Amino acid sequence: MYKLGEQQQAGTIQPILCVMNCSKKTDTVEIRSNNSVASFKEDTATMAEAPSSPMNPVAETPESHVNGMTATVPPGSAIKTKSRPRKAPELQTVERRNWLIHLHYVRKEFDVCKQLIREQLEETRGMCEYANYVQGLILRQEGKIQESFELFQLCNILNPSSVENIKQMARALFLLGKHRLAVEAYLQAEMKLDKPDWELHHNLGVCYMHLKDHEGAREQLLYALEQNKHQQTFASLAKIYLLENDIPSAINTYRAAIEYFPENAELHTTLGLLYMQIGKYQPAFEHLGTTLTFDPTNTRAILAAGSMMQSHQDFDVALTKYRVAAQSIPESPPLWNNIAMCFFGKKKYVAAISCLKRANYLAPFDWKILYNLGLVHLTMQQYTSAFHFLSAAVNLRPTKGHIFMLLAIALTYLDDEENARQAYEQAVTLEARDPSVCLNYAIFLKNHDDKEGALRMINEFEVRMVKFRQSTGADLDTEVIENGAKLAMLLGVDGSAFHKKSSHTRLRADDEANQEPAKPVNEPPSNSPPPNEDEEISANNNLPGAGIILPLDHSIDPAETENLDKMESELAVTTHMHFKDEEPVMPSGDSLEKDLNN
Amino acid sequence: MADNERWLTAHHDPLAALYTFSSCMALADLHGDGEAKLIIADLGTGAYNMKLKVYKGTNLMSENTLIDLPTGVITFHMDTTEPRVPAVAVASGSYIYIYKNLRPYFKFTLPTLEVNPAEFDAWGQARDELLDVSMLYEILDSLRQEVGECGLTTRSQRFLMCPDHASQTAFLEQHKGFILKRQTVVTCVSTLKKSHAEDDAISCLVLGTESANIFILDPEAFTILNSMSLPSVPVFLSVTGLYDVEYRIIVACRNGQIYTLKRGTKIGRPTAELTSQPVGLIRRDKTIIVATMDHHLHSFNNKGKRLWCIRLPGAVLCLECLEVRTLSLTLVALALADNRVLIYRDKHLVDTIHTEDRVAAMRFGRFGREDNTLVLVLKGGGLVVKILKRTARFDIQDTDGPAQGLVVKLNIPKKTKLFVDQTMRERENCVLMHRVFQHDLYRLRLSTARSYVQALETSSNPISLSQTEPLKLSAQVLGLGPTFKLRVELQNTSPSSPSLHLAVIFHCDDRVYSVNKSYIQIPILVPGIIHVAETLVTCVSELGISDTVRVFVVKGKASRPLLTALINMPVAEVFMAA
Repeated sequence: MYKLGEQQQAGTIQPILCVMNCSKKTDTVEIRSNNSVASFKEDTATMAEAPSSPMNPVAETPESHVNGMTATVPPGSAIKTKSRPRKAPELQTVERRNWLIHLHYVRKEFDVCKQLIREQLEETRGMCEYANYVQGLILRQEGKIQESFELFQLCNILNPSSVENIKQMARALFLLGKHRLAVEAYLQAEMKLDKPDWELHHNLGVCYMHLKDHEGAREQLLYALEQNKHQQTFASLAKIYLLENDIPSAINTYRAAIEYFPENAELHTTLGLLYMQIGKYQPAFEHLGTTLTFDPTNTRAILAAGSMMQSHQDFDVALTKYRVAAQSIPESPPLWNNIAMCFFGKKKYVAAISCLKRANYLAPFDWKILYNLGLVHLTMQQYTSAFHFLSAAVNLRPTKGHIFMLLAIALTYLDDEENARQAYEQAVTLEARDPSVCLNYAIFLKNHDDKEGALRMINEFEVRMVKFRQSTGADLDTEVIENGAKLAMLLGVDGSAFHKKSSHTRLRADDEANQEPAKPVNEPPSNSPPPNEDEEISANNNLPGAGIILPLDHSIDPAETENLDKMESELAVTTHMHFKDEEPVMPSGDSLEKDLNN
Repeated sequence: MADNERWLTAHHDPLAALYTFSSCMALADLHGDGEAKLIIADLGTGAYNMKLKVYKGTNLMSENTLIDLPTGVITFHMDTTEPRVPAVAVASGSYIYIYKNLRPYFKFTLPTLEVNPAEFDAWGQARDELLDVSMLYEILDSLRQEVGECGLTTRSQRFLMCPDHASQTAFLEQHKGFILKRQTVVTCVSTLKKSHAEDDAISCLVLGTESANIFILDPEAFTILNSMSLPSVPVFLSVTGLYDVEYRIIVACRNGQIYTLKRGTKIGRPTAELTSQPVGLIRRDKTIIVATMDHHLHSFNNKGKRLWCIRLPGAVLCLECLEVRTLSLTLVALALADNRVLIYRDKHLVDTIHTEDRVAAMRFGRFGREDNTLVLVLKGGGLVVKILKRTARFDIQDTDGPAQGLVVKLNIPKKTKLFVDQTMRERENCVLMHRVFQHDLYRLRLSTARSYVQALETSSNPISLSQTEPLKLSAQVLGLGPTFKLRVELQNTSPSSPSLHLAVIFHCDDRVYSVNKSYIQIPILVPGIIHVAETLVTCVSELGISDTVRVFVVKGKASRPLLTALINMPVAEVFMAA
């Protein structure tokens, strides 16, 4: 309206050539430009008189030439204006602000954008499709999904032929959780499309996934991938495979994704973790390493890679990795747990306890942290504390045999024979594979003069050991075998059979023991605390060499640490699977803590 | 600050009051005097006061009023006349205004679009008065249902907006005598050299329009040399090559896709699909760099293969290509919403410029007589001109690398000597400690169990779980004293059976408190409904002490209460003050 007024004000129409001739000072520039515009208007009017083939540039050519000419022929155009009683009323195109709205929208300047949209809608009485559309998008970003849905509906009424509006309606329905309606809307949009669209099929696939129609979802996502390769589609497809417990297919999906996104740290991490889940540590480590080259602060990859380094006794390297992670996630319980176990591996027990206690503070109901706390305290000969942490762990996870075994060891030292025996029984029944449980129980029984029970257990130990070798192909910890052999020898009866089977391993074990002098050296101080020594010896006097065997419980602890390290990696993996889904795992833990503290 | 090392602030005018975009800024030597001027098309307030401003050095040299919002400004050579001074083209609405020597020279109008024949006929008949207003309205309305709002001419759109019959008639009267035309709007503009690659060679104009077309204009005759169509509205253009030889136009569109147009093509070829809206597009060498709304910077090659993608620390406002010829480097500057301009060399961050406000528009090039100048327009309207120091280098290794985290020590809680002492003590007396603890634990459990049994026996718990009368009681003390109000809420928690013959009795030491109604009869208690019984309790003791009040819920004439609540009364405020 203003523009119209302005043009009419500049009523004295001067031909453009005159203006150019009489150019004197800058302050006249304004008027000049107005004049020129006014005279331009005439050109348009003349030009518009040839509507027969408006899109044809050939027809346009002479026309614009004429325009140029008319501009340079002042009297003609002036006469024309006078001869016409009124000008063609200039109608502002409804779409003239669309570019501005769009530009502000993509720059996330929503306040400016909303202001513009409001003006635009006022001017067009709500009929501007694009303004409504962007308004809908902004409302969606602000979380007002229902309102945005209504706006997209309005857009659809204004322009029923546009697929984009239907797609946005479907998206709003999806965000509102009305997946079935969303699917219908998407299918409707698909009918209107002349060529396949990646976005549509991807979203359709995700809708089907939420409707638990995995078959349909997979089909749609694969189809979407045919149209265009997008990271989201790969991730959704892999998620469906994981929901169906089809890890190999999920891995293949991620491998395909990595071909297209070779530098995407997220994909590498997820793939690495999946490999870890199925126990393929070599490729897992490679992918996690790739992640860390592209994104050295990726905490998921750091934790996973660190736990793998830990299981290879590479504690210092793991610690340097964790240091990076501690910058970004200082409140992660698995991180502090893993750091603690690194210190434990390096025999820095006090630091280990500090870190574990922090982890426990951050996640008081995590049984693995409690278990590790029990283990470290057991190593520190703080049997009472160990007992408390272990019994807490047992309460949280009553199905884990290893906790019962450690509990039994603690109880042995606390002179509670009855309970220790029960704990061992429980451990042996719950943990059906690990030979060390049986060995510990056998030693316990022997020390408590139950030779028959000890024999039964040593046989069980042997059976389990053979199974273990067959299943994993690897051998047990040398100390476990050595101590098993010693015990068998002491028990005498079945010793020969045991010896034969494990003789070659024993030889190897001895070699290894020579290579690794650290372990034997470290043991004596740990199992000879002055006050206890007397007691133990007196208790075991009747058994020759029993004094040597009892510390076995200790020597198994390192073996136990190995198992534990495995558990840690498990821990890291499982918790991080959680993180992958949603962050809120952490805050809820925190609130729990607060509740506890209060 | 890092920016002081490489950039000199040549000019800073916080009150320049500019509202513009990167596309509305240009640097060019407009007078052939070897000094480049800054040309800014100012959007004014966004509705009026639009100006074409030219800065010479730090001074505003001239101002021309624009009648509509400018979409883009470019400078180009349109002829071979000497001296070689470029013309300025301002795209605005449906027109391109050409200025030579900063004087209006020519106005080009975008070609009109094809009018829907049905619509054309309807207006024709209306003009000949074969159709009346309401019939025309109906025809156009049904046509809109068919082809959509944007398929109609502006006149039909406006006509449909008229709310009542009178205004529709007036509108028809006013407009029916004129030719019906459908116009579109320029959304982006760029230049393309015609046949020579020199800096001052003649260039064509490349226009993107709201009707999803790309037009290439001849600079001399202003005819359309080539018209191409896209599936969506173009937003950003990047043009390379020569019109007469081979050229490539890369277009980012509103549907989040990037299309490529080449010589000889009529329809854009999809090159890359983004998952978010593009905020800026740059083409350098053989790569396309796009910033998107979801805080990412993507790089593609010409074929659309993704080269790399980095996550940015914030929302991007605009993107600018810094071509530093002296260093033969091409950098990318990104203005972020957190008042920073990040400068990337490929995917490595090499520099950061801090500003006091968000940067709304940037232009890099020769300004005045200085080759490497970055002109920043801030969101609040300020204008900042920064000059790149000649000693500045952008080496990749001088950024803060990832190794930074390695130096930091782990924050491990320290343990005190007390901890060590306790450890030793535990080692020595572990069996004893364990036994004492277990013993005490058993006793604690025993006494808990005893108290629980006792509470059950005397019904002194506030929740009754008995099968016959499941009740819940809660009590509140209101007031500051010496008179308090006791509020007892009773609720029947059984699923169906109502409770009858209930009464609430208050019991207290009559030397301390006097209860107004010590016996309250409760009517039938319907399950789920909360019944409130209230009484006043006055503290009569002069000693300023507080005591407990017992609340019993009894049924009929039974000797044992169903529930008991013990209320610890607060001390009356009167005594506290005394």
